[in-house]
Amino acid sequence: MRGFGDLESVIMHMVWDHGCAVTVRELFDELRDERSIAYTTVMSTMDNLHRKGWLAREKDGKAYRYTATASREEYSARLMREALDGGGDTEAVLSHFVAQMGGAESEVLRTVVGRLTRGDAPLGRPPAREARK
Amino acid sequence: MSAALLVFGYTLAVAWSVPVLLSRLTRQGISARLGLAAWLTAMASVLASAGAAVALLAGAAIAGWPRLAEAVCRSVAGRACTPVVYRSAAFEVPLGAAAAIATLTAAVLAWRYGRAMRKAGRRTRAHAEAARITGRRLPAGGDGDGGTGRQAGSGATVVLDVPQPAAYCVPGRPAAIVLTSGALAVLDRAQLGAVLAHERAHLAGRHHLLISLSRGLTTSFPGVPVFTRGPAEVARLAELCADDAAARRSGRPALIAALLAMGTGAAVPAPALAVTSGAVTARVRRLLDPPRRGRHARYGLALITVILLLAAMSGLVIAFAGPLAAALA
Repeated sequence: MRGFGDLESVIMHMVWDHGCAVTVRELFDELRDERSIAYTTVMSTMDNLHRKGWLAREKDGKAYRYTATASREEYSARLMREALDGGGDTEAVLSHFVAQMGGAESEVLRTVVGRLTRGDAPLGRPPAREARK
Repeated sequence: MSAALLVFGYTLAVAWSVPVLLSRLTRQGISARLGLAAWLTAMASVLASAGAAVALLAGAAIAGWPRLAEAVCRSVAGRACTPVVYRSAAFEVPLGAAAAIATLTAAVLAWRYGRAMRKAGRRTRAHAEAARITGRRLPAGGDGDGGTGRQAGSGATVVLDVPQPAAYCVPGRPAAIVLTSGALAVLDRAQLGAVLAHERAHLAGRHHLLISLSRGLTTSFPGVPVFTRGPAEVARLAELCADDAAARRSGRPALIAALLAMGTGAAVPAPALAVTSGAVTARVRRLLDPPRRGRHARYGLALITVILLLAAMSGLVIAFAGPLAAALA
């Protein structure tokens, strides 16, 4: 049901939750409890993540020990920065639900909220009519 | 030659006059979808007839090369221009070079346009992948859909652990809708449904494509009103289309509440984007005061007329450019 991309996400979250270096075997043992999965799938997924720069690895005896190159918080913050002020290119393709607002507009909206919560402007009626009352 | 000028004149007239008309018809966002279609039709029809004019011009230049060379030569050198002069390599080579440079410039512009599009596409795909890996799946049924946070064509909905409320969609295959934990904190179930419906409408309508394609035209044709105003209008109307879809899906009150919650919750100073100031308030006001049926129909009819006229005219221009040129030659 879940695709390959989802497995990358699942594995990254496991690595982050571990907090210390993990081997493919350790993650495989954990994953096997909740889904049927091949050892080689876990291995190649972690190899992919290493190639893409998400995981760093160090040889430990015969196996590699993997660590995340950055914390989940760092990645989240980086994504947010890119989404909010990523320059012309990304700005054009990411459709935000609300545009970033200046202080003045935020103030106007707060007034509208205030009026709505006080109940003297039922939804669906024009603000102009309220003003005349 | 005169056919090319005629088509070129028509192109200029449309490029300068139609934006004025469409700005009026679409200002209030009545029939946002038709308004969006009308702006896109206007831009496409200007491009098409400009292309036809250039093709006619090139055709005339190639067919009437000796006469063209003579005309240009006479306009520059007057009576000193004799067949010996304008048939000489010294004259024909620079003229040919000028034509080659014009063609090359157009090719470079087109190539740069394509490269910018591809670069933006790569960055978007990378962003979507990073969001899918870093984010957690939205819990099943959390979007008020009873679904799994995954819908056909709209990709995954992921939640990033960021306190600031934000919601956006990243196009691509698969696309992703990104929410922050801060957004989940300020939205109730119905409002979350409205936000997701809004983003899904963007993805389903391929709004990112319309917006980035038309923005590319602004850089290619600076100073031409239909291309300087068009893209901003396309972006604005796409937003209103997505609002309409969300209002149909979750109801206007939920959408308004979501806009207010997300808008006022996101108290992030962003002076760089202050130009969009007023946009959210305008969206809220429009939802608070929906147009009556009659106005809706009138605006819709006017917009459809504009679309059909523009489409018919460009069709005529392209179909009859050749015969017209022959008749006028």
